[in-house]
This record gives sequence, C-alpha cells and structure tokens, in this order.
Amino acid sequence: MSKKHLLSIVILLSLGLASCAPALPVVTTQDASTEASEAPASQVVAGELQGKLVIYSGRSEPLIQPVIDGFSKKHPNLEIQLKAGSNSELANALLEEADNPVADVFVTTELFTVQSLAAQRVFQSYRPSNADRLPAEFIGPEYQWIGLTRRGRVIMYNTELVSMEEAPKSIFELTDPKWEGQVAAAGSTNGSMQAQIAAMRGLIGEQATEAWLEGLLDNEVTFFGGHTDVRKAVGAGEFKIGLVNHYYFYLQKAEGSPVGIIYPDQAEGEIGLITNSTAAGVVRGAPDLPAAQAFIDFLVSEEGQKLFAELNYEYPLLQGVAVRQGVEPLEGFRLADVDVSKAALDFEATFQLMERIGLP
Amino acid sequence: MLMQKIQVYRSGAVRRVFEFKAPWLALTAGAVAVFVAIPLLYIFLRAVGADETAWQRLLQTRIWRLLGNTLALVAAVTGGACVIGVGLAWLTERTDLPGRRALRWLLALPLAIPAYIGGMVYLTLLRPRGGLIPQALEDLFGQQVATPSPLGFWGAAFILTLFTYPYVYLLSGAALRSLHASMEEAARTLGRTAWGTFWQVTLPSIFPGVMAGALLVALDILAEYGTVALLRYETFSSAIFVQLAGRYDRSSAAVLSSVLVGLAMILLWAELWIRGPRRFTQMESNWRPARRVALGRWRLPAIFFVAGVAFFSLAAPLGVLVVWSFQAFTDGQVLEAVFRTGSQGLGSFVWNSLWTSLLAAALAVTLSVPVALFSIRSPSRVSRFVSRFCQVGYAIPGVVIALSLVLLVNRLLPFLYATPLVVVMAYVLRHMPQATRSSEAALYQLSPTFEEAARSLGRTPQQTLIQVTLPLILPGLLAGGSLVFLTSLKELPATLLLRPPGFDTLAVRVWVWATDGFYIQAAPAALVLVMAAALALAFLLHREPIINEQG
Repeated sequence: MSKKHLLSIVILLSLGLASCAPALPVVTTQDASTEASEAPASQVVAGELQGKLVIYSGRSEPLIQPVIDGFSKKHPNLEIQLKAGSNSELANALLEEADNPVADVFVTTELFTVQSLAAQRVFQSYRPSNADRLPAEFIGPEYQWIGLTRRGRVIMYNTELVSMEEAPKSIFELTDPKWEGQVAAAGSTNGSMQAQIAAMRGLIGEQATEAWLEGLLDNEVTFFGGHTDVRKAVGAGEFKIGLVNHYYFYLQKAEGSPVGIIYPDQAEGEIGLITNSTAAGVVRGAPDLPAAQAFIDFLVSEEGQKLFAELNYEYPLLQGVAVRQGVEPLEGFRLADVDVSKAALDFEATFQLMERIGLP
Repeated sequence: MLMQKIQVYRSGAVRRVFEFKAPWLALTAGAVAVFVAIPLLYIFLRAVGADETAWQRLLQTRIWRLLGNTLALVAAVTGGACVIGVGLAWLTERTDLPGRRALRWLLALPLAIPAYIGGMVYLTLLRPRGGLIPQALEDLFGQQVATPSPLGFWGAAFILTLFTYPYVYLLSGAALRSLHASMEEAARTLGRTAWGTFWQVTLPSIFPGVMAGALLVALDILAEYGTVALLRYETFSSAIFVQLAGRYDRSSAAVLSSVLVGLAMILLWAELWIRGPRRFTQMESNWRPARRVALGRWRLPAIFFVAGVAFFSLAAPLGVLVVWSFQAFTDGQVLEAVFRTGSQGLGSFVWNSLWTSLLAAALAVTLSVPVALFSIRSPSRVSRFVSRFCQVGYAIPGVVIALSLVLLVNRLLPFLYATPLVVVMAYVLRHMPQATRSSEAALYQLSPTFEEAARSLGRTPQQTLIQVTLPLILPGLLAGGSLVFLTSLKELPATLLLRPPGFDTLAVRVWVWATDGFYIQAAPAALVLVMAAALALAFLLHREPIINEQG
C-alpha cells in the first residue's frame, strides 16, 4: 500500500516536473485530438537527469545496448534498467501493468505492436524536438509513438554454396523444392517475422499467405528463435539461404563470412521489398517521465540515429542522417506498400494464422 | 530428497501421536498447502475456462505432436539415465574398480551443471558445419567430415542423459550400499549364477531407489526448457514458453500447461503405484557389506565406460568453460562486457543469484517445518493429504509456475509485481517438495522420546520445538535447504519470465548471451554458476554414506 502511494507521489512529481518544461506547439495530424498539442517536449540538459529509467525493448539486447550506452554517457547519474524480450511479451506486460506502470519507454521492432498498443491507450503523447525531420507516416496518431529506423526483409545466401544467379530473387521461391532443408528463418515469436506475415496478409491476402507459410513448412525450413542464429548458420554454411532483416547480412559480412544479399520481389508485378520500422513510445504513467522523454529525444537525435545506422546498418528515419557506407539505399528499390492502420485486427488474425498452421 | 528414500525402517519404533496436535499446527500446515496449491488450481481453472476454440485448435494441431515429442524424450532420457546410473552405481559399489572413492564424487558432480550449459557447450562444439569441431576438421582435411549433431531428438536425449543420470546413480548407489550381504549370498547358495543373482535379487532390492531416481529424471525432463529450446526440439515446456514469451497467448498456454501438469501427475502416481507394495525391511544390527565382484577381464571395458561418462558429462563441458573463460579474460572487449552490461556486471549477477536462491531455500525450509510436524507427529488422513499437496511442485514445471504468478501477482499482490520477490516465490513453489521431503525424513528419524522427555520435564510444546526438535533435525533441514538452493540456482524458465527489468541472475545472463551466440562472454558466468552449485552439492553429499564412507 505504502509503495503504491509512494509511486503515485513519484508520478505526480515527475508529471509536475515535466509540465514545468516549456511546451512546444505541435502540428496536428489528421486524426489528432487536442491532447496532442498538450504533449510537452522535454528540454533536458545533459547530466541533469537522475533517478531510474526503465526500458522495455523488443530490439534484442545487442541491438539496443550501444544506444543506451550513448544516452547513459550524457546522463551518468541516471540508472537505466533494460528488459529485452519479444515485442508481444513486453506489450502484454505493458497492458497488464497499465494501472501500475513499471516501464517508462517501450521500443519495438515493428509498427503493428505500437499501433495496436496506441489504440489501447498504453502510450502518452510526446513530440520529440526532432519530430519535424521525421517522415509523417512514421509518427503515430497524436505522437503516441515515433518511428526510429527502417529495415528491409531480405534473402541472404552463402556464396560458397549458392551463386548469385542461382539465389532466389523472390520470397516465394523459398518454397521451391530445390531449397528443401536449406533455408533458415526466424520463427513465430520473432517480431520482424510476425510483421512480415501481417504485411503479406495485407498484400496478397490470407489464403496466399497461408499457402506460402505451408510451403515453407513443407520445404523443411528451419525456424530459429532469432535472426542472429539464422545469419550465423548461413554464414557458416549450415544453411544455404536465410530470410532475415537486411542488417543481419551486413553484420555477418562484417565477420568475414562468404554471404550475399538479395533484395527480393523487385520485378514488375511482384510485391516489392517488405520493410518494417522500429518505433518507441512513452508509457502512460511512466514513473520517470523526464528521463523517458529525454531518451526518446536521444533515439531520434542525429547522434542516436547515427548509432543505429553505423553500428547496426539500419536505415535511419531522421532526414539528413545517411545510411552507413556500403549499405544499399532504400530509394533504389520498389517497396511493398504496408498498411498498419488496422494493426490490432491484423495482428490478431496473424497470430491465429501462425497457430493454425503450427508455425514453430 | 536424494537419500532419505533409503530409510532403514526401525522395527518396533513407536510413532506416537505427539502433543503438536494443537490446531495452530494444522492451520499453518494447511495454509502452506493452500499457498503451494494455488498456482496449480489457477492453471486448471484457466484451462477449463479457456475458450473452446483454443482447446479445439490445439487438439487439432499441436497437442498430439507435442505429446509424442515429450513422451519420447522422457522415455529415452529416463531409460538412458537408468542404464548409466545403475551401471555406474554397481561398478563403484560392488566391484573392485580402481579409484572408487574419487569416482563417487566425480560421477555425482554433473548434477551441478545445468543441462542448458552443457547444451550450449556441445552445440558450439558440434553444430553441423558451424561448430568448432566440424570447422577444425574441415580445415584439417580440406573437406567436410561427418560429425554427430547435437540437434534434435538424439542430441537432446544424449545431452540431457549426461546431466540427469546422477539422480539414478546416487539413489541406486545408496540402495546398493544398504543392501545386506546375506541376501545375495543366500541366492548364490541356492544355486543362482552371479548374473541370475543380480537380476533376481539385487535389482529388485534396489528397485525403489532406481524408481525414485527415474521419477526425478522424468519430472526434470518434463520441466526442461533451456536445453530443448537450444537444441530445437519442441516439447510441452518449450511450447508453453513460446506461447508466453513470443505470443503471450495465455489461454493456449494454460491449456498446454494443464496437459503438462497432468502428465507429471501421472508420473508421480505411477511411481507410487509401482513402488507401493515393495518395501524391503532390513535389520541394522547384523548388516555387513556385500562382497565385491572381481571385474577380471571386464576391468578395462568398465574403466572405459566410467571414464567415458565422466569425460562427456564433466571433463568436456568444464574444460571448455575454463578455456573460454580464459579467452574472455584475455580479451579486453569481452572482459568489459562481462563486468559491465548495461548498468550491471558479473558481480550483480552473482549477488542476485545467491540472494534469491538463499532466500528461497530459507523460506522453503521454514514453510516445510509445520507441514513435516503435522504429517509425521500427528499422522492422519488429513495430514498425509497436506503433505502430498506440498509435493505437487515437482509436477509443476517452471514455465507453468511463471504463468500462474504472472496472472496472479499483479491482481492479488500488486506491490510484489516486478520485484525480484516474485522470482523467489516461484523458486519456493517449485522446490517446496524437496524441502518438505527432507524435513519429513529428518523428523521421521528423530525418535519422539526426546520430545516426550522434554515435555515431561516441564517444557511447553513451543519450548520443546525450539529447544529440542529443531536443533536435532537441523542437519536434515540444512540438507533440504541446500537442495532448494542448488535447484533454484539452476532454474531458468521461471526466472526468465518473471525477472523485473534490469534484474539478471547468472542463469539468465548465461542464457541470454548463449542464445545471442556470445558463448565466450557467457563462459565466466557459467563457470561461477557451476562452482556455486557444486559447493551446494558438495555440502549435500558429504553427509551421504555413498560418498564419505570407505570402501
């Protein structure tokens, strides 16, 4: 009981502190309510923050820790606690904790989860200082979430086992019997894979998506828990082909492995490259609001975006931050048009589909 | 739990109903039983209340495959552990195998190595094409050389057998040791061959011990998460974990959990049923050890067998961990990651592991005392029921405990939510049976006459408890406590699912790093974990006759 009181006092205090910060006017998006304009922007000076920032991250630890370290250097007195897990595990924890929030910030690897959480009022609006340099389609309604980086779903292959001509040019070729037992992918618990399936349902319909997944299963595709295993297995030649996010190819290449990359489905009439975005939001009732807002600011600052681009080969969303040298720019590709507006419904159906066909 | 099965039944020992019949004892014991049973009841309620479509969907697709996978693995590992465990016990207890005293320690020690750490080592070494050994062979011979794969059913069965056989080894070893020489001598006198004697006399006599060990192995495999997940073999436990961690589909998780708990209950019941009528009473007075068998020309194969088991279950994993730890300590970047990950480092993982496991051990033992007093000192149908109930934790795998606590704590005990105390609670619930069994055995071996004497000299029941009973059963309580400590230290799935942000234990850290492929970084933490577990195991074993007696 006393703890709960303490918590609400802390929340009140932190809200009070935040409202002391000058609020910036906000450009309202189409369906934005008046609430968005009240979203305050924090203007925290480096080194000023104290207390404890709790981050839930669907990005795995190695993919978020360098950015946390960069933020931590600016605020050495702030204690940062990270819980990395799958998007859906953490999303459900956030829903579970709604009355008694533990986390300050949530970071995901795709937009479906943040979009459906936003619909369930899990986030509070916050407009980071760099918001006008982010593409509008990567900002949630009422600034409930902010896009961070973009990734492409690509095919990587082991160049010692597969020639460039031979390598599949479409994700639909992965069901070709000539690759039976030779393909590795991430399983149903992986956010990027979930988002790919959800996107495909939107692009080609439920039945064709189901047929594709059945084809993968029939072709004895090996499903790992995460993409790190996939890239290492392809790099070592344990598998000829992997279905991954584009940066896993670059990470594996950087380790000196003989790997090649295909940005699939580029031909006329094909679905185009499926992309997804990482995003972050401030949790409603965040125990440490100033720190949460400062962290979001940092994630979309030039410095934070450069860390994502340089260390992890991702496509930064902040205009003016370049992709890492050697990474093919997205502008050169035909991109699949993915709609996340009905995210909650789409995701529900996606999980049911994965369950029905027994995707590992 | 390990040894208390083997009790020499004192003939004529009077089990009088003691004065602790006070209602508070029954109430306390009952409250403990309720506390322990809550997760189980909740899971069943959830499963029964689950959407009918969840049941249908699972029945149509996954349950049967999972059932087949799980049962096949349980059967293979339990069978393998029985063959290896009984074989080793017979060799070290009954033959003139050299180095028996040291071997008894060595062969018990794999119990201190969590199977997923063994799995991590073998996977890194032997992974097809990508493993260190296949790559070294390819570099050496210029072409691929076929090596056994640690993945899938056979890999999982082999690795899990390596790290669970000590249950059977210790319990059947103790049974062999307590066996009276005259039984086998009588069989030989009556014309049985040595082989016939083994099958018809020795094996049936140690059967309860073997079954007790086999039960522990089987329950362990049902609950196993880390190893099967690492080696990509899907069982009920790993499927529930996926539902919880990856999709958070609680209805499906509850349905799968209820089937898993049902399986474990069947195993518990089967062990009771098989073992039920067999009880071999021996008189302590004229006990002497049986004669040892001279191995003769079988000496070399026997040494080979024992050395092989010790190599694969102990020397290889430990050696690899030591080498990797050394590499970690000579690489500045890795070393920095080991000692500082986020706001934490190795020191905090060690501390978190130790205090949660110690607290769980203390709580479990404390809770087990009223249950033991109730069931041993005032035996009745009710007290036996309470005692049984406190042992259901055996049948509730870590993932299921985690599921029930996730669902219950935030609703009923929100001030505990997202604190490490939930992790401690999971440890207590899961490992309560070990504490209960140890306390009951300790109390059973204490003659009530001590307590009666204290009472007749004017002590109140409370004074008697504190001044006489507790000090006398303390060694038994400590043994139970160290067992809870050991198993809590190794626990993975519940800790993974329940840990608050920023709270990592050694087991969690090793797992996170290993699944990300940073095995060199994981090695020092794994080594510390194994050493801490080995210390607890050593404390537990040094009181056991199988280890410390000459022979």
